[in-house]
Amino acid sequence: MLEGRCMCGEVAFSVSGKVQGPSACHCGQCRKQSGHVWASAYAPESAIDIRGHVRWYEASPTAKRGFWPRCGSFLFWTAHDEDTMSFALGALESPTGIRLEKHIFTADKGDYYDIADGVPQK
Amino acid sequence: MPDGSCLCGDIRFEYPRDAVGVTTACHCGQCRKQSGHVWAIAEVPKVQVSIEGAPCWYSSSPGTERGFCPRCGSVLFWRAEDEDLMSVSLGALDGPTSLKLESHIFVKDKGDYYEIADGLPQHAAFEEDADA
Repeated sequence: MLEGRCMCGEVAFSVSGKVQGPSACHCGQCRKQSGHVWASAYAPESAIDIRGHVRWYEASPTAKRGFWPRCGSFLFWTAHDEDTMSFALGALESPTGIRLEKHIFTADKGDYYDIADGVPQK
Repeated sequence: MPDGSCLCGDIRFEYPRDAVGVTTACHCGQCRKQSGHVWAIAEVPKVQVSIEGAPCWYSSSPGTERGFCPRCGSVLFWRAEDEDLMSVSLGALDGPTSLKLESHIFVKDKGDYYEIADGLPQHAAFEEDADA
């Protein structure tokens, strides 16, 4: 069981079972919202127990992004046509037992940093 | 002149390129939780940052505030009452930035699910502290 929470601690979430796809996203939307790069993994929505009223923002018609409006923590992303949800790795309590497996949307990465950790880029 | 915005565009900011001090990636627990991973910033004098729109300010510790967009949740600013400089998100910048990250700070608090391998200096806490 993974446990996560926002910065102020008012929103907490638990993830049970296997998590998939630990990745760092360099797309323009994730870069703007996170302030750099957003790292997440995903699990079935039914396996993620969110305790608190997340505010959702739709940056595109296909997906929504969840954050906590008191402290501004960027916590979740989910596509409307999927039954999985991505959750922020930065919000997790350590140890996570997770390793990043890929960088995604690297064509949209910022110009002020390099990706040099050897993790596959897609 | 670097300029940027939040994801939804409600909040915009700009500052003169020559006003930029250090640029860092912060791995502290607060930045990791708020950003969802690691927060990258440029330090700029408060008086040289022009902000349009109304960020929501959250006091994450005494004397300090973190500014974000209440509509889309974008992480944008950090400032301390007793400091002339403020931190401005690098991820929010539009177009070519002409900036380069210079160091990693608070690596003592980094997450366990990634490595820092870009060769930049790593500091246990603040950039003036000894290398990690």
